[in-house]
Amino acid sequence: MLSVLALTSVVLLGIASQITAIVVYTSWERHALVGSDVRLSCSFFSWQWTSPDVTFSWHYRPDGAKEGIAIFHYVGGAAYVDNKGPFRDRLEFVGNPSRRDGSILIKNLDFSDNGTFTCDAKNPPDIAGRPSSVRLLVFEKVPVQAGVITGAIIGVVLGLLILIVAIYYLMRFLVARRVFSLSMSKHGKKGKGKEGSQQKQASAHLCPP
Amino acid sequence: MLVLLAAIFLLHIACICLLLAATIHNAWWMSNTMSTDIWSRWMLNGGTWNYTEIPDHYPKEYLQAVQASSVLACIFCILGLFVFVAQLYTLPKGKRFLFTGAFQLLAWLCIMIAASIYTDIFHKDKEQGWYGASFILAWISVCLTFISCITYFILRKKTA
Repeated sequence: MLSVLALTSVVLLGIASQITAIVVYTSWERHALVGSDVRLSCSFFSWQWTSPDVTFSWHYRPDGAKEGIAIFHYVGGAAYVDNKGPFRDRLEFVGNPSRRDGSILIKNLDFSDNGTFTCDAKNPPDIAGRPSSVRLLVFEKVPVQAGVITGAIIGVVLGLLILIVAIYYLMRFLVARRVFSLSMSKHGKKGKGKEGSQQKQASAHLCPP
Repeated sequence: MLVLLAAIFLLHIACICLLLAATIHNAWWMSNTMSTDIWSRWMLNGGTWNYTEIPDHYPKEYLQAVQASSVLACIFCILGLFVFVAQLYTLPKGKRFLFTGAFQLLAWLCIMIAASIYTDIFHKDKEQGWYGASFILAWISVCLTFISCITYFILRKKTA
């Protein structure tokens, strides 16, 4: 039974590795302040084991430009950063290829760094896949994101309301239970006393003929 | 008796409708070519209305506070309606509809906060335009929710 299961899972894994492509993950959008550093993360999912020939490459396309330039390439265990383009001396490789992480660090941002960064990862023999893009937005002052304060206010108020109602009903339940147990003990004592006096009266009636 | 109940129910429904209209319809401030707030801006460009973002010079924190309180007012008013129907069936005779009144009070507070913040903070510089339909509906909702709240605090259950 167990061997049949193991065999089926291996066969399925083998089939799956043939039909699914490599999937590259980056953030959707990154916001950063002028002069700060930003880490653009890139990682991938692949059915194959991480090969020693894994490659990462980053492309940069400025806002409004039609074509992009290559700014980073990692191959054969060595990272090659841009030393002629707009990112010379500002780019650093901070990823860990054996852990499928191809992140780069861009230092000292400027307004001209606004644009789209595309990460393309290849894990031989799993090379068919689509690269993923992250949009970088550089601000002078970090703006309030749309809806964050709104959601926070609504959530806190509703949460407080639910908490208050829950506490109210809990208090009522506890008080009712305490009153119930008190009345039970009182009723028990009273009942025995009444019964005793009734019995005495009954015997008194019966005795003198 | 039944007529009174129907009237109070209709008042509550009217509150909900006005609150929803004020919150959803982007017409707190209007001009000849623009209908704006609190979620986005409609601009009239050569015959067609375009849906655009609210400009960046708006004080963002206050705008989101107005958004949050008007949404909360809608939520509390709708919850109050359900609580009213529940209390109609479960309240013992002679008791007041306090729970429903509490929800309407919260709704009144929230919409008053929203309308006050909007009146005081936005459109203070003498730009072209006038206050639109949603703004007026918001202030009318303030009055109606207050009346509704007082009614629930006074009303007593007549029949078991």
